[in-house]
Amino acid sequence: MAVDRERAGAGFGEVSRVKGVAFRYVSFGASIVGLVALATLLVYVFIDAFDLANTNPVWLLVYFLTLVVPFIGFCLYSAGDRALTRRTALVLGGGLVATAVAFEAIELLITPIPRLTWQLAYLFVVVAPVVSYVVFVGAQKPVGATGFGLLGRTLGGAVLGTAVAILFIVLDMRLWFLVFTLGVVPAGAARAYGRYRGSGRALGLSIPVGVLGAVAAVFLRDVLRTYPTPPFIFIWTFGAPIALAAGLFVLNRGGTRRSAAAVGGVSLAAAAVGTVTGSSALPEGSAVLVFAAAAAPLAIHLHGVLDAEKGRVGLVLPVILGGGVLLGAALVGAFGIPGPDPWLDPGYLTEAPSRTAVEAGLYPAIVGSVIIIALVAVLSFVLGVGAAVFLEEYTADTGVVGAIARIIQINIANLAAVPSVVYGLLGLGLFANLLGFGFGTAVTAALTLSLLILPITVISAQEAIRAVPDELRQGSYAMGATRWQTTKKVVLPEAMPGILTGTILALGRAIGETAPLIMIGAATTVFSAPSNVWSRFSAMPMQIYAWANFPQAEFRYGVVAAGVVTLLIVLLSMNTTAIIVRNKLERDS
Amino acid sequence: MSQNQQSGDEASAESESLITTDVQPAETNRRSRSATILETRDLSVYYGDDRALTDVSIEIPEHSVTALIGPSGCGKSTFLRCLNRMNDLIDACRVEGEVTLRGKNVYDEDVDPVALRRQIGQVFQKPNPFPKSIRDNVTYGLEVQGKSATDEDVERALKGAALWDEVKDQLGSSGLDLSGGQQQRLCIARAIAPDPEVILMDEPTSALDPVAASKIEDLIDDLAEEYTVVIVTHNMQQAARISDRTAVFLTGGELVEYDDTATIFEDPADDRVEDYITGKFG
Repeated sequence: MAVDRERAGAGFGEVSRVKGVAFRYVSFGASIVGLVALATLLVYVFIDAFDLANTNPVWLLVYFLTLVVPFIGFCLYSAGDRALTRRTALVLGGGLVATAVAFEAIELLITPIPRLTWQLAYLFVVVAPVVSYVVFVGAQKPVGATGFGLLGRTLGGAVLGTAVAILFIVLDMRLWFLVFTLGVVPAGAARAYGRYRGSGRALGLSIPVGVLGAVAAVFLRDVLRTYPTPPFIFIWTFGAPIALAAGLFVLNRGGTRRSAAAVGGVSLAAAAVGTVTGSSALPEGSAVLVFAAAAAPLAIHLHGVLDAEKGRVGLVLPVILGGGVLLGAALVGAFGIPGPDPWLDPGYLTEAPSRTAVEAGLYPAIVGSVIIIALVAVLSFVLGVGAAVFLEEYTADTGVVGAIARIIQINIANLAAVPSVVYGLLGLGLFANLLGFGFGTAVTAALTLSLLILPITVISAQEAIRAVPDELRQGSYAMGATRWQTTKKVVLPEAMPGILTGTILALGRAIGETAPLIMIGAATTVFSAPSNVWSRFSAMPMQIYAWANFPQAEFRYGVVAAGVVTLLIVLLSMNTTAIIVRNKLERDS
Repeated sequence: MSQNQQSGDEASAESESLITTDVQPAETNRRSRSATILETRDLSVYYGDDRALTDVSIEIPEHSVTALIGPSGCGKSTFLRCLNRMNDLIDACRVEGEVTLRGKNVYDEDVDPVALRRQIGQVFQKPNPFPKSIRDNVTYGLEVQGKSATDEDVERALKGAALWDEVKDQLGSSGLDLSGGQQQRLCIARAIAPDPEVILMDEPTSALDPVAASKIEDLIDDLAEEYTVVIVTHNMQQAARISDRTAVFLTGGELVEYDDTATIFEDPADDRVEDYITGKFG
């Protein structure tokens, strides 16, 4: 007791936290070092792709003032936070001085920094993070949500439409026309009728009707000789259904019939505009699809904004951006300031590779990559989800079946660690040689890459299915649902966000793979886009790899950098889709 | 439910009942003399080598509330899950003996457990509405049976679960947006929508606050007019309040006593039951 009292008299003493603090900063450093390294690389790739190193600083200043500053202003206005505005101004201003001084100091005292000027460093180190932060903050508020929603939806729709349009380079447009007319339309009609009348029989009939129609379409394809023009096919199979879906969506969300008709009408009108514009490098008439896919979400969003009466000011964002570009261009033209000559320009995306760096394009490789990814997405989703459902829902834990399931499980986990070159070898032996799908064809590549990412899709789908609470399954079984009904109606809808996220992230891995493609004999360079899934193709990483070995410096720096940026943009848009889809589905359930 | 009656009969209840709280045993013998609907004979259940239930024989009368009480791990829930063969879903589980529903042994070879479960609804301890709209939750049972559900079906089931007035304007919103008590009543609506004969309840109020729990208790009383209710509960006052007959299980999966609720709580035959009810054991 006496000892206790003495201690109390001396205060509580101190407990050392040195280890914890040290650990915290080491952890922070570890998490940041990789990011910084990658960011530095990307900055250089970006500079090369857009030829920023040779840019006139005045040119940068003009666009900074006409484009970036108003844009930041818009975000700050949306955020409506004085403290944030003040802080942003301080960081932009102080950052300018700090970057300039630090940059010159390093150049003078330590080492020259290649291919960077302090203006560029300021843009990348200060402006880019500030812009992303104010966008993030501004987008949370109604005004920003309106503006960014407008841009994001339109852009997203256009990108999705373009991706589907690219698929029609290899798909038979006329067969699709017949399948849609004879299969999809009747099946959809049966479904709508069943829903409307509450008739289970009509609902059940929709799938057989659709399959029958599709089979009939395949037979008729060789019999029929005359077909509508491609623009009409796209209007009928995409423009009209997209417009209809947009109208129904507005109705469902509680819009009036008139607004639904207006939204549908705008979508259809946009599709009609697509019939008169050219389609550039895309298949003839597919501009209809791109326009409709961009206009429908835009119209829906506009309807929502006008309905909400809040944040309508955000609709000026496209005007701010468009005006900024035009004003900047006018100023640059008036004063004769030379701009950069970017490697990544429209021509790069729509033209074939060439011997000269200036004319080189990535078009066939982009098409090849998109087609392969579409095939891989379908294959790996079906196989991966099927395997995961079987392993999680249909196998017992005990007995022979349980033992087999455990063995499969362990092997799937191991397969995820097998190097991709080995999968390439498998694809070469199995698909290209044994099954005769051909060397370097899109089919062989898609099958090989599907196998490569299958373990990842299976494991992530399993995780998602396992995360579905068991109470829901019990509830469903207790209602007298069969295993299949429980899986279809309860487990899969609940697991879908997780399954989709896992699958799309795995697809991201597939799109960047090079080694298996080399093994199955994919061409490094092809000069025309593949015309069907059996033709030889090249993919973006293959083409980039090939260019990186060219002797000319222009290829190794400019063209390769442009390819890397394109690849990254495709990847990032895929991941963004994954995140949006997941958030959307999670919010709904 | 019987708050008023309770206070009125307080004196007599106190003098007779062995349990210390002032609970009036349910309107005794109201329905307990009707025909038997569910019966078990020498029902034993094993999980691997462990025996969870030992030779349980019981007759459950139609249109009544039968409470199963007993300490944790005594096999009440296992017994309940035998009645609609939910134990089939557990790999290691083995069932011996007979369970008959209207004279037909549900463990016969020719009985499809999925079809059986369509006759027997179940409500779980934790409310588990599906992450779907309220309407889709209610129509789920009919849907899996391939029947189309009308708006009247939805209304009837929700009214039966005393939930209609609270949710009639938001049938399209998610069942998960409801409060815990509402969710549990939605689960009851889901269970009664396909019009089963028996409803099994596994501690349906243990995850709810007292107000929500008392609503469910009232509801159970009403449900017994149309359905046969078998309820597992840890709450002896609840068993005394709502049930017509009570079965007491004790550790080892043994059915110690099964009788009218009043008899169990006032004059149990078995000393162990008396000890359990008065809180000396378990």
